[in-house]
Amino acid sequence: MNNLIILPILIPFVTAAILIFFHKKVKVQRWFSALSSIATIIAALVLVQKVHTDGIQSLNISSWDAPFGITLVSDMLSALLVLTTSIVAFVCLIYSFKSIGAEREKYYYYPVFNFLIVGVNGAFTTGDIFNLFVFFEVMLMSSYVLIVLGGTKIQLRESIKYLLVNVISSALFVITVAYLYSVVGTLNMAHISQRIAEIGQPGILSVIAVLFLIVFGLKGAIFPLYFWMPGSYYAPPAPVLALFGALLTKVGVYSITRTYTLFFYHDQGFTHELLQLLALVSIIAGVIGAIAYWDIKKVIIYNIIVAVGVILYGVSVMNIDALTGSIFYLIHDMIIKAALFLLVGIMIAITGTSNLKKISGLIKRYPGVGWTFFISALALAGIPPLSGFIGKLLIVQGGFEGSSYVGAAIVLMSSLLVLFSVMKIFINGFWGVHRAYENEDKAPVKWLLISPVILVILSALYGIGTEAILPYISQAAETLANPSMYIDAVLKE
Amino acid sequence: MSLLHLAIIAPLLYAILVPLFYKSFRQIHTGWFVLPLPIILFAYFFSYISTTRHQAIVMETLNWIPSMGINFTAKVDGLGLLFALLITGIGSLVILYSIYYLSKTKEKLNTFYTYLLLFMGAMLGVVLSDNLIVMYAFWELTSFSSFLLIGYWYQREKSRYGAQKSMIITVFGGLAMLGGIILLHLMTGSFSITEIIAQAHDIVNHSLFIPALLCVLLGAFTKSAQFPFHIWLPDAMEAPTPVSAYLHSATMVKAGIYLVARLTPVFAVDGLWVWLVAGFGIVTLFWGSFSAVKQTDLKSILAFSTVSQLGLIMSLLGVGAAALHFPGVEDNLYIVATTAAVFHLINHATFKGSLFMVAGIVDHETGTRDIRKLGGLMHFMPITFTIAIIGTFSMAGLPPFNGFLSKEMFFTGMLHVLELDLFNFQSVAILFPIIAWIASVFTFIYSMMLVFKTFTGKHQPEKLDKKPHEAPIGMLISPTILASLVIIIFFFSNSLLSENIIEPALAAIFPGLLTEGTGFMVHIDIWHGFKPELFMTLGVIAFGILLYLTYPKWRKIYKLFPDKLALNRLYDGILERAQNGSNRLTNSYMTGSIRSYLVYIFTFFIIILATSLFVKNAFKLDTSKVSSIGIYELLLALFIVIGAISTVFAKTRLASILLLGAVGYMVSLFYVLFRAPDLALTQLVIETVSVALFLVCFYHLPKLRKEDSRVRFKLMNALISVGVGIMVTLIALSAHSNKFFQSISQYYIENTYTEAAGKNMVNVILVDFRGFDTLFEITVLAIASLGIYGMIRLRLTRGDEE
Repeated sequence: MNNLIILPILIPFVTAAILIFFHKKVKVQRWFSALSSIATIIAALVLVQKVHTDGIQSLNISSWDAPFGITLVSDMLSALLVLTTSIVAFVCLIYSFKSIGAEREKYYYYPVFNFLIVGVNGAFTTGDIFNLFVFFEVMLMSSYVLIVLGGTKIQLRESIKYLLVNVISSALFVITVAYLYSVVGTLNMAHISQRIAEIGQPGILSVIAVLFLIVFGLKGAIFPLYFWMPGSYYAPPAPVLALFGALLTKVGVYSITRTYTLFFYHDQGFTHELLQLLALVSIIAGVIGAIAYWDIKKVIIYNIIVAVGVILYGVSVMNIDALTGSIFYLIHDMIIKAALFLLVGIMIAITGTSNLKKISGLIKRYPGVGWTFFISALALAGIPPLSGFIGKLLIVQGGFEGSSYVGAAIVLMSSLLVLFSVMKIFINGFWGVHRAYENEDKAPVKWLLISPVILVILSALYGIGTEAILPYISQAAETLANPSMYIDAVLKE
Repeated sequence: MSLLHLAIIAPLLYAILVPLFYKSFRQIHTGWFVLPLPIILFAYFFSYISTTRHQAIVMETLNWIPSMGINFTAKVDGLGLLFALLITGIGSLVILYSIYYLSKTKEKLNTFYTYLLLFMGAMLGVVLSDNLIVMYAFWELTSFSSFLLIGYWYQREKSRYGAQKSMIITVFGGLAMLGGIILLHLMTGSFSITEIIAQAHDIVNHSLFIPALLCVLLGAFTKSAQFPFHIWLPDAMEAPTPVSAYLHSATMVKAGIYLVARLTPVFAVDGLWVWLVAGFGIVTLFWGSFSAVKQTDLKSILAFSTVSQLGLIMSLLGVGAAALHFPGVEDNLYIVATTAAVFHLINHATFKGSLFMVAGIVDHETGTRDIRKLGGLMHFMPITFTIAIIGTFSMAGLPPFNGFLSKEMFFTGMLHVLELDLFNFQSVAILFPIIAWIASVFTFIYSMMLVFKTFTGKHQPEKLDKKPHEAPIGMLISPTILASLVIIIFFFSNSLLSENIIEPALAAIFPGLLTEGTGFMVHIDIWHGFKPELFMTLGVIAFGILLYLTYPKWRKIYKLFPDKLALNRLYDGILERAQNGSNRLTNSYMTGSIRSYLVYIFTFFIIILATSLFVKNAFKLDTSKVSSIGIYELLLALFIVIGAISTVFAKTRLASILLLGAVGYMVSLFYVLFRAPDLALTQLVIETVSVALFLVCFYHLPKLRKEDSRVRFKLMNALISVGVGIMVTLIALSAHSNKFFQSISQYYIENTYTEAAGKNMVNVILVDFRGFDTLFEITVLAIASLGIYGMIRLRLTRGDEE
């Protein structure tokens, strides 16, 4: 039992609740959020270290014994994701100070922002499948608000689609949990895993596994369920987009990873093959989308789909190398996608457009932005020694080990097109003849650049310091590969 | 970290300081600050010669990711050292040259030298790393520094094009190589080249051996501009000339050669390696020299010439690899080919380096590189002319220049192919010396064009922007040094190179051939009698002169080759079609309409679940636990169905809202039937409130537009909606029929009163057992209300937004 694990949920929760009462005081909102965000990071850091030294931590809420109450569980995967989320939240937050605009700030931007983090951290931490649904709802409701807040035309138009798809997927989520409950008669995830292991996953559970794949795939934006995403993510302002791109789809990816390693790992010939197929098609569809457009936002948005595919491909291979690679890549992608979206936000702030054909020569006046973008692009494509490399290396290695040669080759070669798609932005947007833009002097570029620079430095450290990070990632992968560790930690305490 | 590591990364570290020098000392050309570094490094690596000439190897390890076997292991042996000396030596000369070539007032010298140093460090890393992953990291860094240098004048469209092209092709090869490296690791469990070589004979029959071989070769061929991947190199000439001389002639493009030489002991066990390396090399040799003749831009000629010479070295390495299939070094026929490769590598760096610098001087002093505008420069720039003569004659393979020696050895190597009776070589063996000879004729022709069209003939001042004059002395130093080397090597090749450089390099390429106490004995003869090689050279000269003089008569053959089939067209076409095609494809399904998205999603839902149910044989109907269905349930269900269907077809908003409410009430009646009065009450309240709210909202909306009264019946959509319903029902029935365990609800029944002190189980579950859920469900409501408030009050719509 450890109360520490609830802190990354509780701190933003309390912050959000308090901030509702100060909604006109923008400065209070900003600094209070920033401080609480730092506190969350510290709590998450302590938690990661705690899990590293003492193993999986769990907390039975209201002290009702598992599996009867709700249990929060922090294994290394969830602790690392909570930490990454907190960091990404912090940088998006300080970026918001000078980009989101006072009007939005007065209309509960910061409380809702914090609620979103509650939902994401909660989803990563909970050990109860229905509670996962609840945190999904917290996260989704906050995202609905963030996507529509401001009420511009495009926001209204896109949020209705976003809302509809997500309401449908939420309904499916409840239905699926109900099916699962009917078959195994429990909601505690460790308990579910234990019970499924006892009966060896008969056919109906494989069908339910596919349903979960659909439910989480809708959130995670895998093929063929991602159609809602490019449009919806296009609408909100940059820091919100960064938050969505970095975190929301990853919650879906996390949930697939969790359920496919903890529950449904007994019939991999069926479920994991399906997952693999969808992951690979996602990669292909993603790169096709990424090279298709001359719109800088869209290019990065389609790259989300590629990354989701790469991570899930690693999960579907299910050997220790591939799982380690997937976790490495998952965290890397959260960091670097946030950086890229924030940088794209700066480009839009300077030029007033996201149409690449109208942008050129930015590097002359903004070398800092240009080079930060360049390094992020390399990291995204998995160029060593930046953050994307080791993950991709391990995934491909795991793929080859699992005799999945075509899949591994697709993952490998997707890097080329990913690189092409982002370098297109560098070559045409930053290089080229210098142009003047109407409102460029108003853009607070220096302040906005702080956030992506922090993230890029993290990305570089993450890659170069792999040796220091590897024990943590390996621990996370080991837990995924051995569900009994998770079960024992929750049920035997 | 050892001194060796420091030497490798010194340029990278120094690169960080360059912008500082640039900012602080604007008066002094930044190049002067940079120049000492490569000179010091050259001296440092020079001191290793005494070590490597005794076949000794220096290895230093710096741990990076030891738990994955990825460490920065620096290894200096003959091969690595040869390259390190080239990199630092040519590097010093190029930097010296660039100081006079690039203006300190007009150019952004900070970025230029930063990129150049990044490249230098990366290149040293490639040739001195024993760990393949670290080598790969440096390899990619060379690609990207090259990308940045090609795009140095980024305002120019062509620079950007060339930069992108080189990046796409070399990174593609790099990724393939990474795949090969991972496959090697899978077979041997190691990333260390030394360890992999030690296991070479055990893995040759592994099923992944051939794929690994192909992947690695892709990396080498793209980097070293082998046909058909050579197309990036001519476009890379957009880079400033010092860069072309350095990266795209002397060093970076030889990384592929290095890789092939380095991994020969691993892969040459298989005949395919010999075939591919020799085959691609010889084709590249021909195609490069053939294409060079038709170019009119000095740098383009040099670019194709580089392609061709790289092919020459590659083919020699391929033929030389056959040496591994014969024992010992004494009578091994094929070692001469590898010797020639190493020797020509050095010679090419000297003469091609000087020629690039000459091209730069001509460009700098006349304002053009077009040989159609040039001519008669001999009188204006006699020194440059002399250097050009030395460089081109060496390239053409004439004495007394070093190119003659290596060219003769090249012919020897190709003639030995005739005696190769391995891997079915006999059938095509004769082609090797023939193609080699033809390519040499073309080489002779373009060499002559390069020098004579530029420096002799009629001076055409009207076509030039500037009045030509001799280059400043500083710009001439580097090419003069290189040109002197061309002659010195001819006369003193044995004393200078054989023992010190070439033999140690051979020892590194063929570690397995040497036994205790033996060594490679390289002896390069200036005169070796009237042998076939000499006659071939004489033939080259004779035919070369003839064809050079008659060029206008036969240049038409270049028109025969249809422009449409040119590889560049193919590259551009693929790139354009990939982008346009992707755009069309993506736009075709991303309609922006939520209806189509839901159609895709639900279609997938139905198909995948139906398949799963069928494949897993998961459908099961077990009625034993089902209570009997009475008339009330039937009626209720019927009303619900009717209500739901009518909602869709209702003509007015009011009607559909009321119908929806009615359906809700029916559902709550179900709760009554199932004896859950509290749930029924809750449901009733919810339905009432939501119907009321709906009515309030919809009161403000315009009337439901009568789109067209006869709504077309959409079969597809109807099928999909029915399908979703059926799937949900089927799985529900199966899930219900597959109760494997006692539900945990028994615990609540037992403990609600005793432990939680409540009488209503549902309430206790909501507020106590699962109170945590409820807390956040309430939160969801709170967030929703904040959102609605914000949505109503805040409108930021700006005119310019879409």
